[in-house]
Amino acid sequence: MGVTVLQQFPMVENRTGPQTIEFLTKRVVALGAVQTGQFLVDCETYMSVPNLGPQRTVHVVHNSEAPASVFAVLESGQRSVPLVADGLFDLLMQKMATIYSKKQPKIEAKGPRFEIADFCVKLGSVTMGQNFKGVLVEVEYRPCLVASSCWELVREFLQGFLGSVVPATPPPYLQNRMNELYQPIDTVNQYLEQFAQYRKATGVR
Amino acid sequence: MIENVSQPVSTATESLNAARNIIPNQEYLLQGSVMDSAVEVLLHRLRGLCDNVDSGPEPFYDHEMCFSIRGAGSMQPLLLRVRRALDYQDMPWQLRYIGQPEIGDKSRPTIVRNSIDIGTSATVVEFLTELGCRMDFEYIVRGYMFRKGRMKITVSKIFKSGQGKPLDNMEALSQSYLVELSVLAPSGQDAIAEDMRSFAEQLRPLVQLEKVDCKRLQHVP
Amino acid sequence: MEPFYTALNAVKVLRSSVGHVFDTLGNGVRADHGEENKDNKFLLELQELLSTVNVNLRELDQAVNSLTPPPGPFNLGNSTYLTQECTLERQALYADLVKSYKWTDKVHEYGNLAVTLFSQNSLKRSYINSSSKRRRMQTSSHNVPPQTVDQVIGNIDRQFSDMSVTIQRPYATNAVLQITLGRILKAMAAFKGLMIEWVVVKGHGETLDLWTESRHKVFRKVTENAHAAMLHFYSPTMPELAVRSFMTWFHSYNTLFSDPCKRCGNHLHSALPPTWRDFRTLEPFHEECKP
Repeated sequence: MGVTVLQQFPMVENRTGPQTIEFLTKRVVALGAVQTGQFLVDCETYMSVPNLGPQRTVHVVHNSEAPASVFAVLESGQRSVPLVADGLFDLLMQKMATIYSKKQPKIEAKGPRFEIADFCVKLGSVTMGQNFKGVLVEVEYRPCLVASSCWELVREFLQGFLGSVVPATPPPYLQNRMNELYQPIDTVNQYLEQFAQYRKATGVR
Repeated sequence: MIENVSQPVSTATESLNAARNIIPNQEYLLQGSVMDSAVEVLLHRLRGLCDNVDSGPEPFYDHEMCFSIRGAGSMQPLLLRVRRALDYQDMPWQLRYIGQPEIGDKSRPTIVRNSIDIGTSATVVEFLTELGCRMDFEYIVRGYMFRKGRMKITVSKIFKSGQGKPLDNMEALSQSYLVELSVLAPSGQDAIAEDMRSFAEQLRPLVQLEKVDCKRLQHVP
Repeated sequence: MEPFYTALNAVKVLRSSVGHVFDTLGNGVRADHGEENKDNKFLLELQELLSTVNVNLRELDQAVNSLTPPPGPFNLGNSTYLTQECTLERQALYADLVKSYKWTDKVHEYGNLAVTLFSQNSLKRSYINSSSKRRRMQTSSHNVPPQTVDQVIGNIDRQFSDMSVTIQRPYATNAVLQITLGRILKAMAAFKGLMIEWVVVKGHGETLDLWTESRHKVFRKVTENAHAAMLHFYSPTMPELAVRSFMTWFHSYNTLFSDPCKRCGNHLHSALPPTWRDFRTLEPFHEECKP
């Protein structure tokens, strides 16, 4: 998996969710991209029961780009422990239902997936439960595995169809890992970072 | 192949529910033991009976840790096992949930218990510790694995891991080898238990494989 | 073996002198015997020849006496079996013979086809250049001992800190290089002596071998450009310089994703980074922005 950058596309007053996706789709296709199906990233959150001690949260994320894996990130205070496991991990979480209970609602990003040269672009509509919350754009540059080598290149690509909303600096999670080999769990963590923002926001952002 | 670009992606829960009937989550188990002096003969017999006669048994050298986590109240703790290969450091680790054996039917030839095997990354121990699990014990196990169709037979010796790195000063726990015959199958395939019993017959009198009731063992004074 | 050869030689000499005697006898009296006393001269000549024969016979006797008789029957090895089985049907010799004949025939035919195909390529670097006039030996860059190749590659490996070059020899003496350029890309180069024959460039995370091309479009382009560079830097008279220049050029790819194109100033053109490196200045250019 190559370096992936997740970018939030802020919602504008006079455009609804589907309209925004369509607007971005036109722009991406104009660059020469071809649609190659749909993608889905979903996150379920489990919280520990009180008598286990201080509160711990487990986010279980599935990414359609890695269909045989389940990603779990445990947050306990300031610490965050990642785990990558295979599909049966969900069954285990079901068995632990009495210790870690599912917190509603589920938050997910889904939408069309495009490919152009060595890039992979995903336009995701974020929904929490039944409510639409915003649009996330994910761009993966497959040939490169180190963020510091290709950040400028990916930023130029993002600007090509998102315009000036793209910041000069990478997402906060990625900033700490610019010189390390990129791994699928890094994409998951970027999604969690964004999902946390969406949870805090009331309404659309 | 023209891909249907607008077909939605199935969620993980949907695929899990759809596969419920084929996920192997039941373990059928028979156990026995053989003294050190007799193990060579057993290995020889197994080598002839099992698959892959020419390539021989697969040796393994694993480190296993057992964790437990307590839920609310005085309920039974949930037991989890983590296993990693010491001879292949880059292989995924194995997280295993083993349920209580199904009591009841004394005529059942094997122990039947719920078992979920999950491959994980190497961060699993830290993950479980932060989750609230506590490590009850750990040990090193070294032995050979044979296969016959769906059945897996392991002949292994258990060592107590020393202080510090598990590889120094390993002392064997006993002067015998543990022999286990197991099958992981989806629920509702009890016929496999009969096959296991007849295979176990072929190994008598070298080793007696039978249902071992762990609870009875615990109460030995 | 020496006395054996001496004896055989002696036999040869004897035969030739005896042959000479009979020749002379058969020719009778010749014109160069003159007019007077031609009979005497003839007889004298014959006497001389006969005494030569005597001498040769004595030498042969001596040579044969110095030979040791063989200790026993000779060990014929596998050829003893040749006479044992006479029936053709049992030997299966015929079938094998036909097969090998067909095979040699095919090799011959394919060889001919290959020659016609290869000779059509005018960009060849082989050492069999036509011109039989210039008979001087051209320095061939692939007739180099492995140690020299190792030395040259070792120097290049030490020259660049972020490029590591390792040598493998899966095909007898010809080196196959594995080049790792930082964490950007990996490449495999097949050499013939000191001449680069084939290059494959792949990404950092891909499995590296000579026969499969990269999954990524950008590295496929870099592979094509590497082949162009390999032909550009070819020099039959200074093969070491050729390899060095190629490696220096190749090393400039460590900025494949980070440097923008010198001409248009952008990182991307049709979704590809600058995959061309100028042969002299090593500046990055897009495929379309090449000067």
